[in-house]
Amino acid sequence: MINFISYRLLQLIPLLIAISIIVFVIIQLPPGDFLTNYIQQLKLSGNDVSESAILNLKQEYGLDKSLIVQYVYWIKDMVLHGNMGRSFQYNMPVADVIWPRLGLTVTISLISLIFVWLISIPIGIYSATHQYSVLDYVFTFIGFIGVAVPGFLMALVLVYFIFMETGVSITGLFSQAYVDAPWSMAKIMDMLPRLVLPVIVIGMASAASLIRVTRGMLLDELSKQYVITARAKGVSEGKLLFKYPVRMAINPLISTIGWTLPALISGEVIVSIVLNLQTTGPMLLKALMTQDMYLCGSFILVTSVITVLGTLLSDILLAAIDPRIRFGGVGE
Amino acid sequence: MKVRILATALVTALIFTTALTGCYDNSNSNKNSNTANSGNAANSQSSNDANEPASTNASTNNTSNNASENTPANAAGDGAISEFHQSPYLNDKNLPDVKDRLPADYKITNEMAEGQLQYEIGNFGGTLRTVTSVPNWDADVFVMDNEPLLNTPSILGEKLTGNVLKDYLLSDDQKSISFQMRQGLKWSDGEPVTTEDIRFTVEDVLMNQELTPIFPLYLRSGGVAEGAPLQLEIIDDYNFKLNFDRPYGGLLIRLAIQGWRGYTELLKPAHYLKQFHTKYVKLDQLESAIKDAGFKKGEWVNLFNFKDITNWKLNHSEAVGFPVLYPWVITKATQSMTTYERNPYYFKVDTAGNQLPYIDKIESTLVNDIEMVSLKTIAGEVDFSRESAALVKMPLYKENEKNGYKAMLNNMHVTPTDIFLNLTYEKDPNWQKVVQDVRFRQALNMAINRQELIDTIYYGFAQPGSIEDPTFDLDGANQLLDDMGMKKNDKGQRLGPDGKVFTIPFEIGAQAPDIVPYTQLIVEMWKALGLNVTMKTIDQTLWGQRNTANDLQATVIWTHTPLWYMGDWGQGLWAPLWDQWHASSGKNGKEPPEDVKKLYATIDAALATDPEDAKRMIEDVKQQMKNNVFYFVPLSEVKQPIIVNEKLGNIPGDSSFAIATDFSGEQFFFKK
Repeated sequence: MINFISYRLLQLIPLLIAISIIVFVIIQLPPGDFLTNYIQQLKLSGNDVSESAILNLKQEYGLDKSLIVQYVYWIKDMVLHGNMGRSFQYNMPVADVIWPRLGLTVTISLISLIFVWLISIPIGIYSATHQYSVLDYVFTFIGFIGVAVPGFLMALVLVYFIFMETGVSITGLFSQAYVDAPWSMAKIMDMLPRLVLPVIVIGMASAASLIRVTRGMLLDELSKQYVITARAKGVSEGKLLFKYPVRMAINPLISTIGWTLPALISGEVIVSIVLNLQTTGPMLLKALMTQDMYLCGSFILVTSVITVLGTLLSDILLAAIDPRIRFGGVGE
Repeated sequence: MKVRILATALVTALIFTTALTGCYDNSNSNKNSNTANSGNAANSQSSNDANEPASTNASTNNTSNNASENTPANAAGDGAISEFHQSPYLNDKNLPDVKDRLPADYKITNEMAEGQLQYEIGNFGGTLRTVTSVPNWDADVFVMDNEPLLNTPSILGEKLTGNVLKDYLLSDDQKSISFQMRQGLKWSDGEPVTTEDIRFTVEDVLMNQELTPIFPLYLRSGGVAEGAPLQLEIIDDYNFKLNFDRPYGGLLIRLAIQGWRGYTELLKPAHYLKQFHTKYVKLDQLESAIKDAGFKKGEWVNLFNFKDITNWKLNHSEAVGFPVLYPWVITKATQSMTTYERNPYYFKVDTAGNQLPYIDKIESTLVNDIEMVSLKTIAGEVDFSRESAALVKMPLYKENEKNGYKAMLNNMHVTPTDIFLNLTYEKDPNWQKVVQDVRFRQALNMAINRQELIDTIYYGFAQPGSIEDPTFDLDGANQLLDDMGMKKNDKGQRLGPDGKVFTIPFEIGAQAPDIVPYTQLIVEMWKALGLNVTMKTIDQTLWGQRNTANDLQATVIWTHTPLWYMGDWGQGLWAPLWDQWHASSGKNGKEPPEDVKKLYATIDAALATDPEDAKRMIEDVKQQMKNNVFYFVPLSEVKQPIIVNEKLGNIPGDSSFAIATDFSGEQFFFKK
């Protein structure tokens, strides 16, 4: 097992180098760079930016150097000093931009995840055990709507209705007084009710699909021989259901941890933009649009690392849980 | 078993209910915080009581209310003010007396032209809330805070008054300008502002080749490339003189408003910046600071430029702590909000002796998307918004005015949109032959139905432009094209000299919401002449790049034509190569024909001379524009919405430029 893990970790190094190069190059592909963008914005606001200032800015942002030199500086600083470079837009270290948003993103994603599990597993089980009942149809109907309607659209509609009906605009996670206040119990209490909307919107789509998956998996299991045998032997229905088939049915939750982890930190981009959440998603989008290359490069790199680690984790878990799964290539 | 499943269903139902009630609570607490923000803090019972920020909010509001009652409004006779008042916000802050913080030469303010605003004596207090969707940039706060060296009321360019500088005297030959500074003027950290700051800026920054690799064009004599750089002559602590080798009275208006220059171009806080300059500190002593700022060894120039906050960086997070002369000083910048607090050393007072600004704080919230700005606006969470307000959203603004704001329609300081055909586009000689023919441009001008543009896109809130002949005459236009020899083929399409269908390919960036629909209409109007007109929307950065590379053939964007002093006439859109030739005094680009040279010469002369002569010469420029139709200015006087809190005072009426209102922000106050 240790061999397997260390082998997989070693594999990571060339993979990450390749990812970092691809990321850096792709961000540079659109025309112009951060500075052309920035100068354009200043000029449109009527500012007269002198040529001298532009030259100085180029130098200040390091954009006068070649792409390769910029890449080498970035990687060298990251590996040697743990410094991910400077964000052009915010004019602060990348880490200082990412970390505060990361906490919020993980909070929202985790709560949504738990919300999804809490809702969809019981409903899935109910639907499977009461197949073609009225409630099954109702849940199926709601589920299909949840799958079909994009999250951002639902967010827009909800924000609009809440504003039209109550005059309250849901703009962000905190009321004005707390936006910049340090963390405190009061700030958390201010945030909690505002979390409800994003959690419902983000959770809705995945809850709907998870209901269908659980229902399908459970239905498969319920018709299997061992269930029939157990029922024939007089095992009570409750024990019968929860002892084996349900366990099997929630298997997808474990095997998708590899993708769940990066999703936790990258957040729902469009929903976050619509709901004005200060999470990492909108930050990444804006960074890409303004070609804030160290910010998006570093963030994408971090997400990639976590995806790779998550997949590794999934593999290990699966191998540990299910002895039928064997890994090839490396002998124990 | 049934029981168990019933329980699961119950739990699920419970989760739904909690979720829904949570939503309801959410809206409730929101409502409360709204009222708190609009000033009735005393009544608001925030659901989360006994918390720090809410109570501070309440107390600021209370003190401001009390203070305004106590503020006496007694101006002494003859304009001399005997008694000064400060905002209660500054009480107990351990500051010198307000009289000692103000310069002896304080400025009695009214930044709007006479007739545009009935100035009211305001009262102190309150927080102004603005919203932006761009990190490190809030155009509204930028315009409100920015202070030029000289000022022109209402940005009209009709009068030039002192601002940061007290007064100026232009010599008769216009070759030197004497400036008088305000005695006792202080930076926001309390240090005096003297000619030493001017000397430092000119000698140690502008004349330093490392810090200023390219000397600014507008600081050369006459504002042209062949003019010699300005020469500074320090007379004493508060008087200095700028000398030129050719007449340059036009510098005055450029310092006052052109390009939002602000004072930082000629006046930097020497006492602060010297610690980052190798003339005053050895390079190896700077290394640790260079490293801290994230630059490589020896890059002191980068460090200096990073620490030197020019006016367009006043919104930046790194500007915190930099000594300034603005009404509000940036005090805190996070990723979600930027806070500005009043500058205790600000140099303007009203006639009653109240030190400006009236408003204590500005809070600029950063949102993810420009649509979120609209939502916040209509919810009444914004006290001032101009930059993000769009005419197309006016019905939405009006509909929600009950939420505590006013949506006003003021004038726009730019033309809505002008049409440019690139006369020096090189990749198609056929194109140049056609568009350089003045008859072609006249024909296209006659084919623009201005009324349709006004009614369709601007809801009637615009006027036909006055530079070109606004008559709509399709037959005349067709006649002109026939005269040129642009024949039609059997499909009714006009052919160029090369015998192929003549195409005008518009490439536009969506820099403003009206550009796309406007161009669509123009495309249809010109198609009616038998021309093949196409349109493509491209990314704004790409647009800028293609413009610089002389790759744009036809495009649409606004200009500053209504502001006579902006010199948009030569901008590089209708003839980038000729413009380069002009800007480099013939070193780059291509030499233009005589009529264009004459136009450039008139523009140069107008921008180099004092405002009185300049305005006369601009009339000549307009006449040349009219005769030659170098580019199309179909519309003018379009309206620009501004959103202001209904309690804000000193907001001028709709006859002024919207941006001029923004510019006079230190005069705003919250009425009781």
